[in-house]
Amino acid sequence: MPTEKNDLHRGTLDMLILKIVAAGPLHGYAIAQRLQQISKDYFQVPQGSLYPALHRLEEREWVDAEWKDTSTGREAKFYKLTAKGKKQLEVEVLGWERLSDAVSLILRTAD
Amino acid sequence: MRWLRRLGKKPLVEKRLDSELQFHLEQQIADYIASGMPAEEARRRANLEFGGVERFKEECRETRWENRLELLLHDLQFAVRGLRKNPRFTFAAVLALALGIGASTAIFSVIYNALVAPFPYKDQGRLVTLRVHDLDQRGDGEGDFRGLMSFPELKDYLEQNHVFDGLIANCEIDVVYDAGDNNSYLSANYVTPGTFELYGVAPLLGRGLEAADYQPGATPVFVLRHSTWINQFGADTGVIGKTFRLNGVRRTLVGVMPPRFAWGGANLWMPRDPAVVNVMRGTFPQYWGVVAHLKPGVSLQEAEADLNIIGARIAPNYREDYPTHFHVSAESFVHAVVGQGFRRTLFVLFAAVGLLLLIGCANVASLLLARATTRGREFAVRAALGASRARLVRQLLLESLLLALGGAVVGVLFAWAGILGLSFAMPPFTIPSETVIEMNGWVLLFGTGVAFATVIIFGLFPALQASRVDVQDALRGAGKGIGGTAAKSRLRNAVIVLEVALSIILLFTAGLFMRSFVAIQSVSLGWQPDHLLIGRLPLPSEHYKTGAQLVSFFEPLMRNLKATPGIESASPVSTTPPYGGFGGNIEIPGKTHTGEWESLIQLVGPEYFLIVRQPLVAGHMFTEADVTTARKVAVINQTFQRRFLGEGDPLGRTVNLDVLKKVPDVVTDRSFQVIGVAADAMNVGLERPVEPEVWVPYSVTGSGMRRLLVRTTADPGSMNSTVRKAVWSIDPTVAFAEGEPLAEFLDTFSYAQPRLGFFLVSTFAAIGLLLVTLGVYSVIAYTTSRRTHEIGIRMALGAAPADVLKMVLKTGLALVVPGIAIGILVSFAISRSVVSQLWGVSPYDPLSAVSVVVLLLAIGLLACWIPARRATRVSPVTALHYE
Repeated sequence: MPTEKNDLHRGTLDMLILKIVAAGPLHGYAIAQRLQQISKDYFQVPQGSLYPALHRLEEREWVDAEWKDTSTGREAKFYKLTAKGKKQLEVEVLGWERLSDAVSLILRTAD
Repeated sequence: MRWLRRLGKKPLVEKRLDSELQFHLEQQIADYIASGMPAEEARRRANLEFGGVERFKEECRETRWENRLELLLHDLQFAVRGLRKNPRFTFAAVLALALGIGASTAIFSVIYNALVAPFPYKDQGRLVTLRVHDLDQRGDGEGDFRGLMSFPELKDYLEQNHVFDGLIANCEIDVVYDAGDNNSYLSANYVTPGTFELYGVAPLLGRGLEAADYQPGATPVFVLRHSTWINQFGADTGVIGKTFRLNGVRRTLVGVMPPRFAWGGANLWMPRDPAVVNVMRGTFPQYWGVVAHLKPGVSLQEAEADLNIIGARIAPNYREDYPTHFHVSAESFVHAVVGQGFRRTLFVLFAAVGLLLLIGCANVASLLLARATTRGREFAVRAALGASRARLVRQLLLESLLLALGGAVVGVLFAWAGILGLSFAMPPFTIPSETVIEMNGWVLLFGTGVAFATVIIFGLFPALQASRVDVQDALRGAGKGIGGTAAKSRLRNAVIVLEVALSIILLFTAGLFMRSFVAIQSVSLGWQPDHLLIGRLPLPSEHYKTGAQLVSFFEPLMRNLKATPGIESASPVSTTPPYGGFGGNIEIPGKTHTGEWESLIQLVGPEYFLIVRQPLVAGHMFTEADVTTARKVAVINQTFQRRFLGEGDPLGRTVNLDVLKKVPDVVTDRSFQVIGVAADAMNVGLERPVEPEVWVPYSVTGSGMRRLLVRTTADPGSMNSTVRKAVWSIDPTVAFAEGEPLAEFLDTFSYAQPRLGFFLVSTFAAIGLLLVTLGVYSVIAYTTSRRTHEIGIRMALGAAPADVLKMVLKTGLALVVPGIAIGILVSFAISRSVVSQLWGVSPYDPLSAVSVVVLLLAIGLLACWIPARRATRVSPVTALHYE
């Protein structure tokens, strides 16, 4: 159930969430919206994956969560990147770039 | 999820999780409304997209460790409830595991304590004992060596070896303890310097023997065994430092040893008296048992090499004691103390309990497999309610672990009871007196480990399978059909076949043990052991050297005993029946032969044959007057006549008892006239054929150990003290030692061990049979109940109950028959090694085989018949509705 539509791997989702919250604290719904907007509707992250992922990141102390009032005055849980999370993000982005470079290289040249 | 709600108060984390998700939902709805959707539609769509909220709430929860702990607790509660819901299953599984664990722990504890660590002594694994083997006599491993040494020989090995850092010896000596108004017998050991140091056991009271005690002129001292101190000295701590008259010498008691110290099985230990060159026992010089401690780094082989060099050097000095071709071996002391026979019995028992443990595990496996199939639907429901796969597997595993834990706990109780029972049932003299049987932690751990492995493997397989079920399918159709997937039923069937085969092996082994025991019991003795009392008479060698001196002791004694109410008659004997005297060379004048002619020789009184009720087939017994004059007359047995005299009248023939020239009180004229022939009777134990035997007047020599055999009219045990007093009144320096009814002696030495083996193996086999019955029954009952629907259709279409019955029985027999076949084949393959330690049975004993097969077939049919009957009784209408 979690990865039905576009096969978004756990690790990839984690990396994208870290990247999104790196810009500043956001609540879960906003994170989902941002992912969808930036990817031009390519990623439609189901809640069933998003919230376990957020809790997982929190458990690993890569994000920090805080209950704050939203602009509408409703209380929501905001996630923000920790120093540890920032390091992790760097590692994962580096890894991802290497992987995607390698993959595109093969796709372009291996005929 | 009810159990979560039942908690009443949701933790804060839980509330927060709810409001976080709620917030998301509200935002979504708000966005939809903002984009122009009607409120109702927006709510519907958002809810739909949100999906099964419980499911990912569960996932969120599982990411948190504090929740994990809590979940584990819930899962545990859940597992307990699952087991309680099905008490019959739980009971059967726990019982099967517990029996396996309990029995194997008990038996292995005996093995460990009797064979691996029997002693409380320091570094017991490096202690060895010396044996001189006769290489020309290849016995069965037990009978072709000498384990005792003369004192000078012992000194040679002590002084010349390079491989031991300690060598000690002991020899038995009879002690008459003179308490002033009465005397009593104690079995003592003379020990050599270093004994107490080598064993490293601290005394309970006082001190052990020290180097100074062995010096010439030292004050005579002794050390007491714990049980003797308790029983004969009333556990009085004041006895230390007191002197006691032992064999006429005043000795000071210097110490009492702790309970497990029982070196040589003696009541007390005395330093070897330096003034005495040869310790005598019944006018024969006493031989010594040797124990040595290997130097660090020296192996058994190196030790043996060194010993054989010494042996070759000293053998010419001890011509009598060394055969032409010999080998001196160093045996591990621990190995040497338990007889080969009992050792093998223990290993067979261990194999038997191993089988039992396997059967128990197989049983639990089949129960778990059957149970898992019926629960497919339950798993589907729970998966639909949001339980993740990992969660389901974990719950099943927990359930399995609880079963194993229950099995282990009850198993410990069984093991404890078993060990208690075994320590009482252990035949005397099969294990050293030092040995204490206690529960072995390692094997308990092992048995429990096997149990855990079983429930995990057989609980997990079905769990994984079940958790993979397609939820929709399972919910729609599960619970009907033919008992799960083909693979699962194959596994289940294989387990049952295995279980049947194992139990056949166990039953067949039990059958062999039973046959052997019955064979021993039905051995005809040739005499009557009831109402006989036997005891030793340690005659002090300084007063009793000649036959005439013996007559002066025995004649009044026997006269007194005969006049005593409750006693019919008495006679001196050399050995306790069914052992017929000491062996030695004989010659028949005018007969030549190759090889040595040997016979057993018994020194007895005139009423011997009347006392043991052994009939004479020709001639007559010697008379009182023959004994008084030490006439050279003899009664022989039929085997003697057949083997040495051949055809012709044996009466009046002459036999030369050459063995009598080797005794200290040498008999110069060794030609005896045969005056009678006795019917053959068992005379080398119960398991070996009758040997030639000859009975002569006890007065022909003053040498040899003497015993007293008394025929009573009253209960023989009750006459023990009467006889002791009678002996004491004739000579206060002699004691009637170790008196016991002959029937008890026979029981201890001949029947107790086979009986114990038979009893234990049968118990295990019976438990195994019970488990197998349970296993076959549960599987057939289960598969039959799964087929209720099918049976209903068959019966609606006109099948008779008999057809249904046949169908179910066929299913059952398809499992039982291959199991039996495999079991019998394996039994035959391994029975040779079992039979090697049993007496009087063939490895392919047909009676055992047939009865075992019939028994298991009957049990198997019964186990199938009950569920089959139940199936035929169901009305087709109910069956078709059955789910």
